[in-house]
Amino acid sequence: MRALWTMVGNDFRQRLRDKSVLIFSLIVPLALMGVLSLAFGRLGTGSVDLQPATVVASVEDSGPLGAALLDSLGSIEAMEVTVREVPADAVSSETRSTGAALGIVIPADFSSALASGQPSTLQLIEGSGSVLETSVLISIVTGIVDQFTAASVTEAAARLGGVPPDAAAGIGRTAVAGEPILYITEGIAPAGQLSLRAGLVAGQTGLFLLFTVGFGVLGLLAEKEQGTLGRIRSTAVPQWTIIAAKAVVGFSLGVAASAVLLASGTLLFGVDFGSPAVVGLLVLGAAAAATSLTFIVAKVVRTAEQANVAQSIVAMVLGIAGGAFFPIQASGFMAVLMDLNPVGAFIRGLGISAGGGGVGEIAVPLMTMWGFAVVCVLVSRFLPDRGASS
Amino acid sequence: MKAILAIAGVEVRRFLRDRSNIFFVFIFPLLLILLLGTQFGSSRAETRVALAGGSGTALQTVVTEQLEADGMQVESGTPQVVREQLGRGRADVGLLISIEAAAAFNDGRQADLEILTASQASAQAALQEVRGSLQAISMRHSQLAALERAGMPAEAAAAALAQAREAVQAPRVDILDTDNTAQEFRGLGVFDLGAVQQLLLFIFLSSLTGAATLIQARRYGVISRTMAAPVSSGQTIAGQAVGRFGIASVQGAYILVGTALLFGVDWGNIWLTALVLMAFSAVAAAGAMIIGSLLDHDGAATGIGIGAGLVLAGLGGCMVPPEFFAGPLQSISWLTPHRWAYDALAAIQRRDASITDILPALGVLAAMAATLLVSGAWLLRRSLQRAL
Repeated sequence: MRALWTMVGNDFRQRLRDKSVLIFSLIVPLALMGVLSLAFGRLGTGSVDLQPATVVASVEDSGPLGAALLDSLGSIEAMEVTVREVPADAVSSETRSTGAALGIVIPADFSSALASGQPSTLQLIEGSGSVLETSVLISIVTGIVDQFTAASVTEAAARLGGVPPDAAAGIGRTAVAGEPILYITEGIAPAGQLSLRAGLVAGQTGLFLLFTVGFGVLGLLAEKEQGTLGRIRSTAVPQWTIIAAKAVVGFSLGVAASAVLLASGTLLFGVDFGSPAVVGLLVLGAAAAATSLTFIVAKVVRTAEQANVAQSIVAMVLGIAGGAFFPIQASGFMAVLMDLNPVGAFIRGLGISAGGGGVGEIAVPLMTMWGFAVVCVLVSRFLPDRGASS
Repeated sequence: MKAILAIAGVEVRRFLRDRSNIFFVFIFPLLLILLLGTQFGSSRAETRVALAGGSGTALQTVVTEQLEADGMQVESGTPQVVREQLGRGRADVGLLISIEAAAAFNDGRQADLEILTASQASAQAALQEVRGSLQAISMRHSQLAALERAGMPAEAAAAALAQAREAVQAPRVDILDTDNTAQEFRGLGVFDLGAVQQLLLFIFLSSLTGAATLIQARRYGVISRTMAAPVSSGQTIAGQAVGRFGIASVQGAYILVGTALLFGVDWGNIWLTALVLMAFSAVAAAGAMIIGSLLDHDGAATGIGIGAGLVLAGLGGCMVPPEFFAGPLQSISWLTPHRWAYDALAAIQRRDASITDILPALGVLAAMAATLLVSGAWLLRRSLQRAL
């Protein structure tokens, strides 16, 4: 046991002196988190609430529908909307210069054209601010226009059915004013997914954990190349302690780096992953999965350089497929396959934890990561050691 | 010149012979372009609705048909699955149809539907879309009911409504985009945007991580032995730079041709694209010279190479399109060669730009390459004098 800790201590000193550990495990992921967080902008916060928005409008319509449209916009439940009326030729420039979400130009013939079923054009000008509020407003305006059209269509249908014009207009109005057959109750599903920004912190942590843990096995191959491994083997040290020391180093480096990255993410990017105990369990599971993977890499490669490349390939493929940079949308078999990915399981576990989930709720992601670890260790036992034969 | 080309040729051959480069240089970029294309490539992402309950009922049928007619992707499952899909971000909106709701709809009474949104801000826009579809169903029902109340038989009312829909022209809603962001991407193929981004990302990334080979060449005495021959230090440095430039160009040409053939990416004028690619490759090669000369440890050089390559790519718009950047990040992005190359390639690809249009970008890239190359040459010359 003493030999094991001596080797672990020696490896730690070497790794800490090696700048690449610091670069790979902390500097690069933190820099990437910062850059991508900036690039995603407000979308990264994952806020559910729509922000108050301004609509710049011009109503040239002398009929009632133009004013009714604006009134409807002012009384939307989903978001607070301020309507500011300006002349038609100023709508575009005002929308652009004031940061309004949307500009609307309601033409002079809007009401009359709708009543007579004649074509007219409503112009919407997208603002330069948040895409989200703008797209919601566009959907709402389109919905209101659809309602007006439906009234007009019903009125026309009534006339076609022989209803006198005066009564037909009333039928059109009652058709859209009545209670809808489908009544909607809104709710929010329990959060099991991280916001884009929190997902970035979790994803980059998971991705670079695979790189960091790999330094353990890289150390083993470097010792082989330098001849120090042969010298250790010639001593009375049990053989298993050599591999165990590298695994302990890789695992510990991974846990430490992940803890620092998640804590930095919490402080720098204002994300919250929930209970530290639950997060700690997830980090241990992810580090175990990553460490087990290095046993396979150590068996199939001959040199430290090959190990570096293999480790990078595995890390990038598992990281990107697991959603380290952006959530991957999948269904069916692909979704099942991605659920087995330890990086995906780590991100999912952090999502559950961030949503207030406890140890019981993260059982599936934890089992996925530990299951992955067990499978990798078993597979590595049966693989021929190419490195030993070189 | 012969000596320079000989050194460069050796560098390119060494690179191509290394089988470990095959994945990251040739396979991975194409895989990533394929993945990005399938994830974000379509001009408008489909809203995903998870539907539970009401199986085989008229309500479920009419809701599904309307959602699909409005361009949404509908998947069915149990309420528990729907909640899980939403919680995991695999659906935007969930719709739960109870037995009571289905029965009420059949009887012409008001049906209560529970609608659930994912916890993401973007789900609000999807929710609005689904509300619009449900509103359309309610509207059709209200129209028929109003006509029937006016004394029209059901079949006659339906026929009159169908006829009226043909006759009445709905107002056209024209949407103008003031900062032209939507127009920028209009008409782009599924893989076009991702191909430009990944091309620039990987050329720079491969070049910078390749800086480690320069350190190895210094460590193993390759450079010292080269200079023992009748080759000047200037020729050695130029040969190394041209070698790195050759590697970047080979990779760039491969991605260019590969994406055009495999994914049908339209690069626009191929000669202008090649010109931008060469200018960008020169910057990448010069950047590798700087890292390879400044650092003495190849592991650290690889780390810095990957880090700088990814961060510069992110800032330059190779991960999120720069058109979506907020004000300050827009300004910062112009400090990266990626942004200049991205804009030039976008202009060629989307607006059939001429050489005059991309001249400023080419000029900036050439200036960046020259500055980095001179600095890199000076640093390499200095590095040869110190022990590794």
